[in-house]
Amino acid sequence: MSLAIETTNLTRRFGPVAAVRGLNLRVKSGEIFGFLGPNGAGKTTTIRMLCGLLLPSEGSACVAGLDVSREAEGIKRRVGYMPQKFSLYGDLTVEENLDFFAGLYRLRGCERGDRVADTLRRVGLLDRATMLTDHLSGGLKQRLALGCALVHSPAILFLDEPTAGADPLSRQQMWDLLYLAAGEGRTVLVTTHYVEEAERCQTIAFMHHGRLIGSGSPEQCRAELGEGIVEVDAAPVMQAAELVRGMAGVTGVSVYGHTLRVFSRAMDGLDRSLQSSLVEDGILVRSIRPVPPTLEDVFLVLTRTAPAEELAG
Amino acid sequence: MFAVIWDVTLKELRQVIRDRRSFVLILVMPILLTVLFAKALGSGELRDIPMIVLNEDRSPESNVIVTAFSTYEEIRLVGTVDALPDAQARLSQGKVKAVLVIPKGFMRRIQAGEDVQLQLLLDGTDNTSAPIVEGVARRVIAQYNAERAIRGLWEQGVKPDRGLQLIQPVYVESEIRYNSGLSFLGYVMPGVIGLTLQLLTVMLMAISIPRERERGTLDQLMASPISRTELILGKLLPYFGIALFNVITILAVADRAFGIPIFKHLPLLLTLCALFVLTSLATGLLISSVSRSQFQAVQIAVFYVLPVFMLSGAYAPIELIPEYVRPISYLFPLMYFSRAVRAVTLRGGDLAMVWKDIVVLAGFVVLFLYWAVQSFHKRIA
Repeated sequence: MSLAIETTNLTRRFGPVAAVRGLNLRVKSGEIFGFLGPNGAGKTTTIRMLCGLLLPSEGSACVAGLDVSREAEGIKRRVGYMPQKFSLYGDLTVEENLDFFAGLYRLRGCERGDRVADTLRRVGLLDRATMLTDHLSGGLKQRLALGCALVHSPAILFLDEPTAGADPLSRQQMWDLLYLAAGEGRTVLVTTHYVEEAERCQTIAFMHHGRLIGSGSPEQCRAELGEGIVEVDAAPVMQAAELVRGMAGVTGVSVYGHTLRVFSRAMDGLDRSLQSSLVEDGILVRSIRPVPPTLEDVFLVLTRTAPAEELAG
Repeated sequence: MFAVIWDVTLKELRQVIRDRRSFVLILVMPILLTVLFAKALGSGELRDIPMIVLNEDRSPESNVIVTAFSTYEEIRLVGTVDALPDAQARLSQGKVKAVLVIPKGFMRRIQAGEDVQLQLLLDGTDNTSAPIVEGVARRVIAQYNAERAIRGLWEQGVKPDRGLQLIQPVYVESEIRYNSGLSFLGYVMPGVIGLTLQLLTVMLMAISIPRERERGTLDQLMASPISRTELILGKLLPYFGIALFNVITILAVADRAFGIPIFKHLPLLLTLCALFVLTSLATGLLISSVSRSQFQAVQIAVFYVLPVFMLSGAYAPIELIPEYVRPISYLFPLMYFSRAVRAVTLRGGDLAMVWKDIVVLAGFVVLFLYWAVQSFHKRIA
């Protein structure tokens, strides 16, 4: 399987702050690759370097077989980029925006007209082609932005939070479009902080403080998590959380409604010791059972166990 | 290359035209500014400077002096006062620019052959009218003295025409060859045209790239394979078209409403205007590509446009600027433009007379555009 993107020790500093540190990433051709991490983790900086918009401070990256430092303009011809902030012309119509970007990517004549029409149809904006972009709703703007990133049939798509702030239906439609693009053999690299969206990716990578702290398929990430989880349904739940947090072997506790998710590296006999401790303190325990980790759990564990941020890295 | 430049041009034109209000402003404002500037600056000749008389003598001789002042159109007599404090109060309030004091005993002392002095109080805060009043006063007194001398000679038996010969032996005859009406408007109009054209073009271009940066659209542009030259030229072209429209309307106004002989030299003046507009657009683009925000761009543009007004000879001859400041004047395209347009409209100059200015302006265009392209970076940082 060939690689669409490969980075080696990719690093970017802004003054004394290192936004991305020593990133080693391998994205296979044709896969949907999800980039997860909290705000400020370095996802956007990484994407901007991969699009040729930002020069790496150190290390190298190869995108579509081209080097980001030396062949940025070649990369720009082969990739589509949808920035996090909406960045199309609000005072142009939907079709004028698509046509303009088709022109920038050197599409001419009939091919250009066909591509614009195809893209309008694909993102479902055919009936709004002559509408001013400023007048579109948020979800439609995101679809138009995707259309502009797709109009020149790029081999690789970079999407920076394409569903930020979108309602569930718009998100579903956006993901249908991403699957369609991937089905055509395009590589899709998408950042998100919706964990349930990460489940839809073939490979996910977790970033934290500019570092890659874990990657793999969603199944792998769950399976290889170094900690187990016990779900406890207890009342009063906050008091139970307080108690469990102080117990030996427990690495973390998160509260969901009236249940606790208790993390631990030593799972043997954990449910029994939890049960006895809670009951001893007069807490009502309705159920207690080991559960498989979700990606959210993975994310929490990875960020907790990641090495603390260094200064001036 | 050209196809992409045209794509950017079309996009810019659509955006400009769609913003109706500012589009109309762009088309109409230069005409209004030209008329306004020309009216305000063009009446450079000072007339009707208000003067008040304190005549303590009230004699036939003192009345001759007062009447003599009133025949000059530079001076407007606004009345008389009876006491010096009154006169000084009027002067300090700025109601009059000059006070003529004719002391008591003026006639008696003249007839007795004694030295007499008239007093002129001038408001020095207005440094243009003070010397004018002073000049008028000198002429009035010279004339008065001459007339008295002739009268005196006549009393001695010399005929008046002989007397005139005796006291006024030298005449100066001057002939004004260019701008023979000595109209300040004719002098200042080329500068006004240049200032107007420059103001709008520099501002519009200067905010062009920072506006895209602020709206975020620059990100999408930079992520595309557009080249820097394509972007810069694509932004230049539509505004060049709009500026040419402005050139034509302004020239028409200058010719029809202000009587500047534009249509007589149209091809040469159009060439000069087109080139000058290109230098301004290129200057604006240079500001645009180094500015991070629209605010910063406007700031830089203002810092450019204001000194140009003072230093480029648009309003006053650059010979009035101290010699050590003058080299700065040569950095402004407006200096070459107004010099060349003046040569054409006031001296009837032809290509042979202004080709050097044309070459310099063309040089500015190439230099600024190259500089603008070089200082624009397709990377974020």
